[in-house]
Amino acid sequence: MKDHLLNSKQMAQFVASGYLKFEEMVPKDLCRACLEEMHHNRGYLAVGTPFEETWPKGTALGDAFRLPQVQGLIHSLVGPDPLYDHHAAHLTKAEQTKGPNMHQDSVIDFRDHYFDIQLSLFPADTTDEMGGTFLVPGTQFRNVRTGEISIYHHMRGKIWATCPAGTMYVWNTRVWHGARSNYTDRDRFMYKLRLNPTRPQVCNFDTADLDDPEIGRILSTNHGWEGNEQRYELMQRVRLWRFVSDQPNYDVGERFMRRIEYQPGEAAG
Amino acid sequence: MSAVQDILVFFQTTPALDAQVVAWARYEASKGTGLGDLVEESDPPYQNAMAAMRDGWQVIQMSELKHRSPQEGYELGPLPYQVVLSKFNELQKEEGASS
Repeated sequence: MKDHLLNSKQMAQFVASGYLKFEEMVPKDLCRACLEEMHHNRGYLAVGTPFEETWPKGTALGDAFRLPQVQGLIHSLVGPDPLYDHHAAHLTKAEQTKGPNMHQDSVIDFRDHYFDIQLSLFPADTTDEMGGTFLVPGTQFRNVRTGEISIYHHMRGKIWATCPAGTMYVWNTRVWHGARSNYTDRDRFMYKLRLNPTRPQVCNFDTADLDDPEIGRILSTNHGWEGNEQRYELMQRVRLWRFVSDQPNYDVGERFMRRIEYQPGEAAG
Repeated sequence: MSAVQDILVFFQTTPALDAQVVAWARYEASKGTGLGDLVEESDPPYQNAMAAMRDGWQVIQMSELKHRSPQEGYELGPLPYQVVLSKFNELQKEEGASS
């Protein structure tokens, strides 16, 4: 497990951008078996139960999400003993087009110092024309009511999955995202699994590089859409970074958090 | 064919008409009643609302500044400001519609 933990810089990237991408996370032969199972995969398992007890064993999908590298990823983000939330095999059929459908999953969620993760497995080579899932990196701090943001047809900074078979994206479930048109004659699958933590998500990653100055630059990433809101985004990222890295006084650059926390009476006291 | 209203919406992080456009949407009623296939666009059709105005679009809504309270001053949510632009274009036959 320890060999597969995220390092601090990767964790900072997750905090700043809300997602990470890992190509060829799942071997090709296992991907083919997963793809076959996805055609018959229907319905949720028991929502809110321990993942290890609930997730099937002895199946390709069961094995794929138990690979050591996937377990290391899960542990880094939600810690030990996560709960199964739900899963789905999302199919965009050959030549199926999609209109505007940007959304934030589930229901509006203001929980502080908390995030669920979603693992998205692409079991086949996914080209640009196949319409892989799109994400707007950095939007995970912007709470909205599910599909109301479909009014944003286009947005600066939008990215989408274009990847070889076996690629896994892991993302904060609050990231704005959606499906895209598939212009090819091949069906496209994306298999998603959502997990919840069972304890505070503090220092579950490899902290050996916690003092790397690159982390401040990663947290300050501008994705292209932030504009005048950039410093308010940065403050939210710093708040989450303080929590997950157990550094309650962490700040970066101009130290905007200090601008709202500094009190001369307390400093003198 | 008669002229019908098309709408272009610019979403921005300040309300100014010369502000950068960070998200955008088109509701082109002259072409149809829905958007069944969203073709990706990396840049907005105009650099800002004023550039659109120079191409004949009329501003029919711009945003007011927001009051900020200590409780809500740091909350993030939808993009805060929008400009709604209007232009009349000739009605076209909707793709897939029966004659």
